[in-house]
Amino acid sequence: MRIAWLVIRKDLAAELRSPQAMVSMLFFGFLLLVILNVAVPAGARVAPETGAGILWVAVTFAAVLGLARTFDREKQNRCLEGLLLSPLSPEALFGAKMAVNCIFMGISQVAILPIFFILYGDGFLHAPVMLALVLLLANTGFSATGTLFAAITAGANRNEALLPMLFFPLVMPLIAMAVKVTSMIFAGAGPAEYGSWLQVMAAFALIFTGLGFLFTGRIIRD
Amino acid sequence: MAAADHLEIAGLCKDYEGCRALCNVSLRLEQGDFLALLGPNGAGKSTLLRIIATLVLPDRGSVRVRGADLAEDPERFRRRLGFISHHGLFYDHMSAQENLVFSAALYGVADPPARAEELLRRVGLHHQRHRRAATFSRGMRQRLSIARALVNDPDLLLLDEPFTGLDRQAASLLGEQLLLLKERQRTIIMVTHDMERGLAMASRVGILARGRLVFLEQRQRIDPATFGELYHAATSGGRVS
Repeated sequence: MRIAWLVIRKDLAAELRSPQAMVSMLFFGFLLLVILNVAVPAGARVAPETGAGILWVAVTFAAVLGLARTFDREKQNRCLEGLLLSPLSPEALFGAKMAVNCIFMGISQVAILPIFFILYGDGFLHAPVMLALVLLLANTGFSATGTLFAAITAGANRNEALLPMLFFPLVMPLIAMAVKVTSMIFAGAGPAEYGSWLQVMAAFALIFTGLGFLFTGRIIRD
Repeated sequence: MAAADHLEIAGLCKDYEGCRALCNVSLRLEQGDFLALLGPNGAGKSTLLRIIATLVLPDRGSVRVRGADLAEDPERFRRRLGFISHHGLFYDHMSAQENLVFSAALYGVADPPARAEELLRRVGLHHQRHRRAATFSRGMRQRLSIARALVNDPDLLLLDEPFTGLDRQAASLLGEQLLLLKERQRTIIMVTHDMERGLAMASRVGILARGRLVFLEQRQRIDPATFGELYHAATSGGRVS
């Protein structure tokens, strides 16, 4: 845990010093919200399903920009090798990188959500705590899957192109569930109606977190 | 395995997509041995180092350190391992001091800032400690790389062509540090093309050719005058006795 925390702190400090991942995530997220807003007729009310879709398009496409940069700084001077030569276990490395991705996605969502409600109406703001829970579960699933695939593509030259091709087909069920639950929350449904979806999202996040811890070591070393 | 053995490599094999990189490599090193590993390009020298460093998994064979199989507790072994390669293994966006403090903390060094300070003085970078590594000259980067490899006071130091591309100052600094480690009974494996330097520094000399260890001898039993011929015979033919 101590070593994993060192890596998390290093990555957060690097991002604070030169916020490359955050800037691109936020810019892309805002841009998508604005472009999609142009398609909505002036004064028209967006349906909950459409609103949820728009929100998750912005959130997931912004997230993938951050995920693609997971091992970017580790590629300079073969720093990843430096980490692998240290007593840091592959599991701790995966945990640290997943945590950093989760934090970056959380921050981008905190910034994207108010813009979403400004552009598409605060009529969707029914159950903020449940919405936060959906975002947290999706973040955990995205960051576990994204970190695992970022490790797989870390050695590739064009990993920013390769990562979305591997990542999106796999997280599609998670995105679909997130859209479904969010649209129900936007429509004013109660937790009893979408509770089972939340359980499936949690299971998805748990399975991919487990797979990441199991396979990252082997993937990175070979 | 004798009590004094530090490292025992037995029957190591590694293939890369059907291409044999290492074939049945076995050797034993005692604490304080300095092995210079020579061989032509593609002989498997770097693969051997990377397997010992736990960066690459072997297909067959084992590496034992002080009797313990490396595969069983690699994190514990890496705590006392140093590795110097052509790549710096440090972060360009961090200062020299931040890089060393981070590395020292990773290795669980008791007082990382003090250790970083000590190493920065040793490699002559103390006055530049707050500068980002990205702004360093080639020579300064090489010194930082040496300091980084020594941050955990390694028991076993692996060097992959460490003198390649070094300026004279950095080469002499590295030479000094290696001799210091040799005096302190640290075990060192140095992969090099530089036969002269290898013979001058090492206590044992090995030759790898086509993935096989075809020669391994104590340095004092080698005649430098005829070693060139021996090397040629070993790398073009079979095992040399």
